[in-house]
Amino acid sequence: MTDVEKNAARPVVSLEHARKSFGEAEVLRDISLSVSPGEVVAIIGPSGGGKSTLLRCLTLLERLDDGSLSYGELPVASGGAYGDKNALAAARSRFGLVFQSYNLFPHFSVLRNVMDAPVCVQGRPREEAEAEARALLAKMGLAGCEDKVPCQLSGGQQQRASIARALAMHPQILYFDEPTSALDPELTAEVLRVIKELAAESMTMVVVTHEMAFAREVADRVIFMDGGVIVEQGSAEQVIDHPREARTRAFLAQRGA
Amino acid sequence: MTGMLAEGFLVSLQIFALTLVGSLPLGMLVAFARMSSFKPLALLARFYISIMRGTPLMLQMFAIYFVPFYVFGIRLTTDSKWYATIVAFVVNYAAYFAEIYRSGIQSIPRGQHEAAEVLGYSRTQTFVRIVLPQVVKRIMPAMTNEVITLVKDTSLAFSIGVIEMFTVAKQLVASQVSMVPFAIAAAFYWVFNLLIDALAGRIERKLSYYHD
Repeated sequence: MTDVEKNAARPVVSLEHARKSFGEAEVLRDISLSVSPGEVVAIIGPSGGGKSTLLRCLTLLERLDDGSLSYGELPVASGGAYGDKNALAAARSRFGLVFQSYNLFPHFSVLRNVMDAPVCVQGRPREEAEAEARALLAKMGLAGCEDKVPCQLSGGQQQRASIARALAMHPQILYFDEPTSALDPELTAEVLRVIKELAAESMTMVVVTHEMAFAREVADRVIFMDGGVIVEQGSAEQVIDHPREARTRAFLAQRGA
Repeated sequence: MTGMLAEGFLVSLQIFALTLVGSLPLGMLVAFARMSSFKPLALLARFYISIMRGTPLMLQMFAIYFVPFYVFGIRLTTDSKWYATIVAFVVNYAAYFAEIYRSGIQSIPRGQHEAAEVLGYSRTQTFVRIVLPQVVKRIMPAMTNEVITLVKDTSLAFSIGVIEMFTVAKQLVASQVSMVPFAIAAAFYWVFNLLIDALAGRIERKLSYYHD
């Protein structure tokens, strides 16, 4: 194998034997997951099944009790012991996260929301960051909203702005934590369309979602999580249309999928 | 008469300004100590705030005035009254400001910190760029209240013998057997507070470009 091929084969993120408890409650029980470049993974499952905690551990918002985590060649945690500040900072530069509640900075203009971190965290030249931010906002259908503040936008627009904010950092992988759960159906559609466009551009993504139709359409792999374990995973056809596990079937029947 | 009161008011203004210069930043330090995860420090800050808010400012002035004499045997001068007054005002108001800052800082949603953390902002950057500007907007009404109270509290300095406007007014009332000096003093306080109110209103309007 050449170096290029080795890199292509190396997962963007790799999690092994992850465990996480909150007090007595074990939320992640021996979860292993790796995501290849360009892959789109949808995580489905009932509330309290560990989906959000998994995402929070992958984005370093929560720490694993045990298990290892690495981003490409960068080790982040091993046996539940985390690397130093620099290692964590390096890992953070590899991923972006889109929150359910957008979490835009309300006092910044939409443009500044997108360009502030590239300038302030990555030290990129202001002009370059601004030009890229404008281009990203236009791509998200937000041309003309640059000088507005988040509270002047609809929920769907805010979520698209937050996707632009994440993309401006040039992440290798983008995580979405129920990105449309706070939106009504019309606004959900516009956000999902943007995510589909990113999938078409081979953006590596992990999406926690309740939108089965969306998972079926964009996901290369669907993971069903319940009770802190990955119950079953495979193509959308396998997991959503022909689930093998009783728990998956029960969940899907309940959701009317 | 008004001239004498005006001169006294300049002293009141000095107490006012020096108190703000000292207590606004000190309050931030106390707030951080109060929110510290290092328990002894947090406990110490709580105790400090409790004493400062739970006992009269007038007593605190006297306590601070006499400490150098009783503890270190330093001879007290007229200047010591002035320094004791300023120190007492600063440490007292810092406690109140600390609690206002804390309420503001803790009211910023977790999601703001998390979004900043994921984007790679350092803790200092997160505080200065993301949290603090939002805190300022949220605490403006409470801060205005406190600053207006401070304007009137400067009159407490008369009790220790600092010659500010209220002291002057009291002397004039006694020598002229007339309540007019009190009325004029009241007008000074009131007009100055109108100015503060107007300034605060301007700042609040400037910050109303967004809501959250």
